[in-house]
Amino acid sequence: MENTSQDIRQLNEKIHQASAFVDLLNIELGKVIVGQRYMVERLLIGLLAQGHVLLEGVPGLAKTLSIKSLSSAINAKFSRIQFTPDLLPADVVGTMIYNQQRNEFVVRKGPIFANFILADEINRAPAKVQSALLEAMQEKQITIGDTTFKLEEPFLVLATQNPIEQEGTYTLPEAQVDRFMLKVVIGYPTKEEERHIIRQNLNPDGMSAINPVINPADIVQARKLVREVYMDEKIERYILDIVFATRHPEEYKLQKLKPLISYGGSPRASISLAWAAKSYAFMKRRGYVIPEDVRSICFDVMRHRVGLTYEAEAENVTSENILSEILNAVEVP
Amino acid sequence: MQKRIILQRIFLCVLLGYLCPFRLLAQDHYQVKALADTDKIRIGEQVKLELSAKVDLNQLKAASLRLTFPNLPDSFNHWEVVDRSKLDTVTNAGNNETFFKQTFTLTSFDSGRWDIPALRFDVFSPAGMVDSAFSQPIGIDVNTVTVDTTKAFKPIKSVRTVAWNIWDYWLYMAIGAAVVLLALGLWLYFRKRPVKEKVVPAAPLEPVYDRTLRLLKELDAEKVWQQGNVKEYYTRLTDILRTYFEEQFGIAALEQTTAELLQNIKPVTILNQQRDKLRALLSLADLAKFAKLQPTPQEHEESMHKAVEIVEWTKPAAKPAEAQNA
Repeated sequence: MENTSQDIRQLNEKIHQASAFVDLLNIELGKVIVGQRYMVERLLIGLLAQGHVLLEGVPGLAKTLSIKSLSSAINAKFSRIQFTPDLLPADVVGTMIYNQQRNEFVVRKGPIFANFILADEINRAPAKVQSALLEAMQEKQITIGDTTFKLEEPFLVLATQNPIEQEGTYTLPEAQVDRFMLKVVIGYPTKEEERHIIRQNLNPDGMSAINPVINPADIVQARKLVREVYMDEKIERYILDIVFATRHPEEYKLQKLKPLISYGGSPRASISLAWAAKSYAFMKRRGYVIPEDVRSICFDVMRHRVGLTYEAEAENVTSENILSEILNAVEVP
Repeated sequence: MQKRIILQRIFLCVLLGYLCPFRLLAQDHYQVKALADTDKIRIGEQVKLELSAKVDLNQLKAASLRLTFPNLPDSFNHWEVVDRSKLDTVTNAGNNETFFKQTFTLTSFDSGRWDIPALRFDVFSPAGMVDSAFSQPIGIDVNTVTVDTTKAFKPIKSVRTVAWNIWDYWLYMAIGAAVVLLALGLWLYFRKRPVKEKVVPAAPLEPVYDRTLRLLKELDAEKVWQQGNVKEYYTRLTDILRTYFEEQFGIAALEQTTAELLQNIKPVTILNQQRDKLRALLSLADLAKFAKLQPTPQEHEESMHKAVEIVEWTKPAAKPAEAQNA
C-alpha cells in the first residue's frame, strides 16, 4: 500500500515520540563512556536495524565497556566470549552433558544465549568456531543435540578484530564478513576526551553506574517502527547506484576504479544500507530517509564489502578511498 | 735312409727355388721408412711421425701385389695418436715410382725415453700375405718441464686481455642499430602524420546565469505543481540550482546532500549570504522529494522566488566569471 503524505506526517510524529529513548540512552551511556559517540551511534544502528557489528580498533578503546553499558541501559543480558585458538564451538553455543543423578543428558547452554554478545578478537578462533557464531547470528537460533532454541530478541553480536596482529589469527573470509551489517573502525579519543577518561577512572567514588532506561521489549517495538520508516524510490535508486558503482564503476564514469576493485557489494549490501539508513533516520527522529542518512552510514556498511585487488593494495588504496570516489561521483537525488 | 735325406733336400731346394725369387722380387720393388720430426719433446708436446713407402708400381701390378700401411692404435707404448692424415700419393712418371705417405701426430704425457717401435708394412698377393717390411724404431725423449728451484716464486699471472674483436659484439650492435632504425622510423612517421587541429571549445551559447534564469522561468511557466507533480517540481527546481552552483562556482553540488552543500558554500561569500534562504528552500524540497510533503501553493511560489533571488543575488559574481570564461 502506498503511503500518502498524511501517513508519513503521522509516522513522522509517531517516530519522533518513539525515538525519544535514543536521547535517554545517549545520556545514560555518556555517564561512563567519554567520546566514542560514533561507535555508540553505530551500535544503536545495528541494534535497531537487526544487524551485527564488527568493530576494528586497537585494544583499550572502550569496546567492552560500551556494549556492557548499552546492555545495562537496556536491561538486557550480556555475554562476553574471548575467542582463543583452542575455543570449541560447544564453548560458544553450548553442549549436552550427562546428569548422573537423573541418568540423562541435559542441555547446557553456552554464552551465546544472551541479548548482547561481545565476541572479542573473533579472528583468534579457528574457522569452525567462527562459523558456529556466524550461523547463530544469521539464523538467530541454536541447535544443541536434537533441540533447537530460538535466541532471545534483541540479539546483537559485537565482534572485535585487532588490526595490528596478524600472526596466529584466522582472518574472517569475505562471505563471513558480509554477515556483519556494519564494520566500524574506531580511533583514539581526543586529548580532551582522554583527560576526562583519566579523571573518571581515578575518581575515588568509582565510575557511575548505568541505570536501565528502557527494556528489551522497547527495542523490539522500535525495530518494528524502523521497518515502517518511509524510503522514497529516489533514495532506493541512490542506494542501488552506490552499490552498483562498486560493481561496475565504469558505468558511473569511474573507469579508474575498475582495476582496483576485485568484487563489489552484494545484494546483502543493498539491504543492509537501506536498513541502516532507515535506522539512522529513526535515530535522527525522522519518519523518512533522506540522502544524508545513506551517506552517513555508507562507509560502515560498505567498507568490508568492497574487495580490493593486489594493485589497489600495492598503491595503498583503501576501500574508504574507493567509497569516497563513488560518493563524489554518484548524483544525489 | 740316404735316399730319403737326398729326397728331402731336393724338395727343400725346389721349395726355396720357388719362394726366393718372389721375395727378392718383392723387396726390390718397395722401400718403407718412418721418420719423426724431432727426437725430443716436452710432456704434452706433439711430434709428427711420417710413414712413407716408395713403390715400383708397375712391378707390383705385374705381380698383382698390394702394400698396406701399418694401422697404429690410438694409444701405444706411452704414445697417444692425436691425429692421423689420409694416405698421400705422389707418382714420379720418369722412373715409374710412386710414393705413399701418411703422417701421424703423436704426443706423450709420460716423461722418459719412449720408442716408436718398428712398424710393419704388409705385402699381399691375391692368395694372401707374402711379405712384410719394417721401419726402423725411433727413440724420442719426453722431458718434463725444468724448474729452477733456486729462483723465487713468481706471482700468478693476471688475466690476459684478449684483443678486442668486433665480431664479439655483433649482436649488441645489431640490436642497437635496430633500435635506432625503429626510433628513426617512428620519428618520421609522427613527423609526417597530419597534426590534429586543436579543438577549441566553443564558447557557451548562453551564459550560465541567463540559462538558469530561463530554466526557472520555464519551470514556472509549465505549472508543474499546479498539475499535482509536486515532487517533480522540487526535483527540477533544486537540480537547476545545483547545476548553477556547479557550473558557476565549481561546487560539485549535484553529488552533495543538502547539509554538505550548505557546508561547502561557506567559502563563496556571495552565496553564503543567501545561506538561510537556500537552507529553507532545500529543506522544503527534501521534504517534498523524500517525505511526500505537500507544501502549500504559497510555499511553492515562495520556493520559486527564493531560487530566482539566489541567482539574482549572485549575478555580480556570475558576470565576471562568465566574462573570464568567454
